[in-house]
Amino acid sequence: MDKTLQTVSLYLLSHMGLIFFLYPTDIIESVNIGHWLPILTGFAIHLAVIAMYMKGMSYFPRMDLVDGLRTAGNAVAIVLLLPVAAYLVMICVITIRAYSEVVTIVFLSSTPLWAIMALLLSISTYVAMLGIEAIFRTALLLFVLFIPLTVFILSYAFQNVDWLYALPVMDTHTATFAFVQERSFLLSLFAFSGGFLFLGFVQPHFRYKSRSILWSSLILLPLFLLSVYLPVLTFGQNTAEKFQFPFIMTVDTISIDWLMFDRISMFFLLSMITFVILFLATVMWKLIRIIRFKWNAKPAVLIPALSVALFVTCMNIPDWKHVSDLLWWNTFFRIYVMVIIPAATIVIGVRYRKRRV
Amino acid sequence: MLLDRYIPPPLKEDSDFFIRKTRLSQLSVNIIGYTSLIDLPRTLELLHKQAESGTVADLNAEAFMESFGKPVKAPDESTIMTTVTRGDILLYFSEHDAFISVTPVPKVLTRSIEAPTTENVLRGAISSLVEDIETNIGMIKKHAATQQLRVKSYSIGDREGKRLSLLYREDKLDLALLRAITGKIESRLDWDVKNLQQLSDMLGFSRWSFVTRFNSTELPQEAERGLSQGKAILLLDRMPFALVVPSLLWDLFAVDNDHNFPVLLMYLVRLLRIVGVLTNMIVPGLYVALVSVNPDVLRIELALSIARSRVDVPYPAIVETLLLLIILELILEASIRLPKSIGPTLTMVGGIILGQAVVSAKLVSNLLIIILAATTISSSTVVGFQNSISIRVFKYLILLLSAFYGVLGLLSGLVIICAYLASITSFGIPYLHFYKPKGDSRG
Repeated sequence: MDKTLQTVSLYLLSHMGLIFFLYPTDIIESVNIGHWLPILTGFAIHLAVIAMYMKGMSYFPRMDLVDGLRTAGNAVAIVLLLPVAAYLVMICVITIRAYSEVVTIVFLSSTPLWAIMALLLSISTYVAMLGIEAIFRTALLLFVLFIPLTVFILSYAFQNVDWLYALPVMDTHTATFAFVQERSFLLSLFAFSGGFLFLGFVQPHFRYKSRSILWSSLILLPLFLLSVYLPVLTFGQNTAEKFQFPFIMTVDTISIDWLMFDRISMFFLLSMITFVILFLATVMWKLIRIIRFKWNAKPAVLIPALSVALFVTCMNIPDWKHVSDLLWWNTFFRIYVMVIIPAATIVIGVRYRKRRV
Repeated sequence: MLLDRYIPPPLKEDSDFFIRKTRLSQLSVNIIGYTSLIDLPRTLELLHKQAESGTVADLNAEAFMESFGKPVKAPDESTIMTTVTRGDILLYFSEHDAFISVTPVPKVLTRSIEAPTTENVLRGAISSLVEDIETNIGMIKKHAATQQLRVKSYSIGDREGKRLSLLYREDKLDLALLRAITGKIESRLDWDVKNLQQLSDMLGFSRWSFVTRFNSTELPQEAERGLSQGKAILLLDRMPFALVVPSLLWDLFAVDNDHNFPVLLMYLVRLLRIVGVLTNMIVPGLYVALVSVNPDVLRIELALSIARSRVDVPYPAIVETLLLLIILELILEASIRLPKSIGPTLTMVGGIILGQAVVSAKLVSNLLIIILAATTISSSTVVGFQNSISIRVFKYLILLLSAFYGVLGLLSGLVIICAYLASITSFGIPYLHFYKPKGDSRG
């Protein structure tokens, strides 16, 4: 049955959770002028990737990525899926660790890190155990609950904007696309590559219209732009560059006279955290799906085991520097997931169709 | 006496059991039954009238006897026992050694149709369901006057027969759902079902759920709304409620009577209920989060004034809040238990505690009283008392998480509740569905 609406909300939420924290930092670092070009480049890559991926998946009606790749033989599937699994594990670790760090830095300075990680992990474990259909419905409910708040705060974030900071629109350095090789640009792909894989995992459970996903991704574009341009327009490039989380700083500058709250940024960022929890649940669910490909255990056992393992791993990362290293090593896997997997689905899909006809 | 060997000994010892000899036409008859369940004089009158209209002389003896009711074939102690306990009477024609079971004029043991006691109706039909299942079916039929309405009745229970009726609209109810429900009931016909917990076990719902899977309503009008939305209605004898299955989240906010207001007002009222539910769940948690973990979120003036009002309070905000919340819950529970004449005393005493006294005694802060008043009021905006209990429980989860993690805990509590609600399905229909259209029975 058709679940386009739920799919779109999960797609939007999991990306929104990723956009506003690390992404602006990376983009602001990658170029000095004309930020829209790296953003648009990243976005174009994202569009191409999900279009290819969904096209590839459409060759396997009512099959998910794992079963689809399996049609080319078990060995091929294992070789192709192992890096994906590694990628997903790394994403889990990085996300949990990085976001707990953000939370301690910004709001809960006295709460120990492990407590926050335990909270994030246990909630996403719980949600993942409920199954993909429950995740989708949760996404819809969270969308309805939190999006009005988010839109309200985002629209207030223009309060301190100075439009002159948007100029100059372009310089020769940016126009050469030299930023493509920059470490920070490659890191920024994190925001694009994290959330799209689930689109290939849900077909056995329900259908969605891939066209609607592509259209809804256009909603993400202004969010990507806002996440970078709001800090730049508020502080200017030179100041924005200095902050660890420029977008959080921007939202912190908002002051609304008639509201009883001083730091409404907290509500905005924490609703982003809830989206991240949902994203984590999806990632864990995908991971379990891949693990169960070879090793058929009950999800009720696997998911808690996985989350304990993740927790231990996260505890063993000593500081922020290691997180950013991990994020950097993850780039290779990220590019693999963005290039090889969609391409593989198309190649295997075309062959599968030929064989069947 | 021939009759004696049929009658079970325990029956004879009952003080309200009677055997009355009389003559109908030329035949001598023993009437057996319970005086407590039937209106004997009127029943006798009816029997005699019936005997006059067709005498033994006109008909043969068998046809004459059958004109009163159903003959009991192979009468033994247990059939006699069940017939009499059900509230019917037996006619024993000694000359023919035959039992006829007759539906008598019953004693009126059911209250008449009245206004609802747990649901208020401002605009709309006011009559509510009663304990008698036939009356209930009749009332629902009056409201849903359609040829498509089907009624299935089951006699459930091993020892004691209890009636359970299933009502649905043929053109609206999904066939798979119907099959699931009837399958569950028919496979467990020997279960004793006296309350909703047992009924929910019978339908295979999880016992450990925070949300009721039946939307119970006293109003036939609401039952009709359920029917026309493609839901099934269960009626249990002696239960003045219609149980609407499946129950959905939207039922917390919408009642049929809303449609008797202008559309815009209807939406505003429903929005108000949603706000009420959210307020009830969030506000106590928010107070604790802001006071004890994240005071920096508040405007500095407000933060200071709260801090000032809490200066003399000797314990953390979570203890303070829990203390008063528990008192509030006690008041709510006590006001259900108390007879109406003593109720006002409770209100007064509660008012004193939750008024200025507890603040002057420096047990809690000023603001908390306001917060808790808002919470309690808003917990009742939701439709249906059973739902308001679920929401009252959810509040504590958020409260505890907020005490540990501040605003983060508040929002993650919301995520947990959303996920929990999203995971509930009854007969494959998710709790979060808006309403259940035909043909779409699975998530």
